[in-house]
Amino acid sequence: MAMTMASLSFPSPLHKTNLSSSLSLPSKASTFLTKPSPKRRTLTISMSMEAGIGVMASKLGMMSFFEPDGTVVPVTVVGFREGNIVTQVKTLATDGYDAVQVGYRRVRDKKLTKPETGHLEKAGVIPLRHLQEFRLTSVEGFEPNQRLVFDEIFKEGDLVDVAGTTIGKGFQGGIKRHNFKRGQMTHGSKSHRALGSIGAGTTPGRVYKGKKMPGRMGGTRTKIRKLRIVKVDKELNVVMIQGALPGKPGNLLRITPAKIVGVNIPKN
Amino acid sequence: MATSSHLLPPQALHMIRSQPSKKLGFSPFLSCAPSMNPILSISRLSLSHSVSKSSFSLDTKARREVLVRAEDNPEAVDANTATEDNVVEADEAKAPRKPRVKLGDVMGILNQKAIEVSEKVRPVPEIRTGDIVEIKLEVPENRRRLSIYKGIVMSRQNAGIHTTIRIRRIIAGIGVEIVFPLYSPNIKEIKVVSHRKVRRARLYYLRDKLPRLSTFK
Repeated sequence: MAMTMASLSFPSPLHKTNLSSSLSLPSKASTFLTKPSPKRRTLTISMSMEAGIGVMASKLGMMSFFEPDGTVVPVTVVGFREGNIVTQVKTLATDGYDAVQVGYRRVRDKKLTKPETGHLEKAGVIPLRHLQEFRLTSVEGFEPNQRLVFDEIFKEGDLVDVAGTTIGKGFQGGIKRHNFKRGQMTHGSKSHRALGSIGAGTTPGRVYKGKKMPGRMGGTRTKIRKLRIVKVDKELNVVMIQGALPGKPGNLLRITPAKIVGVNIPKN
Repeated sequence: MATSSHLLPPQALHMIRSQPSKKLGFSPFLSCAPSMNPILSISRLSLSHSVSKSSFSLDTKARREVLVRAEDNPEAVDANTATEDNVVEADEAKAPRKPRVKLGDVMGILNQKAIEVSEKVRPVPEIRTGDIVEIKLEVPENRRRLSIYKGIVMSRQNAGIHTTIRIRRIIAGIGVEIVFPLYSPNIKEIKVVSHRKVRRARLYYLRDKLPRLSTFK
């Protein structure tokens, strides 16, 4: 009974109505589109929760790093502008959820609007351009106008998730955007980079929603998971993270401890 | 306050006039023009001299740079002499004041530092295209013996710490090209044996030539 009710209660796309997922819990939390409602019996980590406080940073560029044994590791150099100051602490009592709001990148006073300036002056912090929240399970130990030092939060060898805006690629076709395969270049083929067929025949007689088609690619937020911190340079205030990060040099990044089920996130 | 104006590049003077006296963020310094005069030692003195006068209100954290670059100091410090009405943090108490590193220079500084560290362990001779070199390489798995690679340098790609050279040699009748990162900790010795006059920077034409030209005993 419960499984039929769950499958009918929300209009899920065709490929998501698998009964196995609805067997797990009778509530609507079995899809990963909706957050679990607070009325559930256990307070679990939802997708928007972080595994720990994070920081914001700027991408500076890439270089090679020689490990002591001679292995060459491609690293991205990440720098910190003046910022990473706690601007507001949100609690369950005042705002309905627990979060720490962090600001980044100091700017001139005239670059911010009066509402923004007023918000920052309430915490007594310098004018900061970017504000982001880190939603945590417990907000103990954070106060407004507290500086977050990278060295205390992350060490060498830690795994981090890095989120940022990707490079914008403009309007792109199916091959670049969705890794479609192109048609034959010779042998009389007239279709080289086209989409091909976009649906079946009279039934269903329409094109499904979400059909992969050309469109704007890039310029969106992505998160790269489980990147290793190779080196922390305290003098230059710079971190080296293995691998590539979204965006071009100068891009704003959001670095958080990696969410690994079983290690940081309780298995529910 | 252009008392040390004889050391200031004209660009910095222009910048002091144009920028209003406010708490400046990063952007004004990044936009200031690169100085033309590379006065290293004099700029160091001018730095300590003008710090005692200026109110350096930019930096609140303890982020200081040991490697002082000539271009940064005169402009960064002397621009702040114009912002004299600001918070007089009076950093004269901290005598060794290291200037702020611009984020745009960090990549260059990191590469330089890494090269210096590597050079201290093992100095790298000057290698150009056309040199015939002998490289002693340590393979981590086979730590007892060093592998020796000899050949002519076909090309040199400059990329900071990952500067590489491409060595060509005929081994057992087959042409072999190997790329070596010059500053790798695995390379134990590089020795220039001799030099052949070449008139190219990249000797890719050797691939089409007779094997005799790429054979080295």
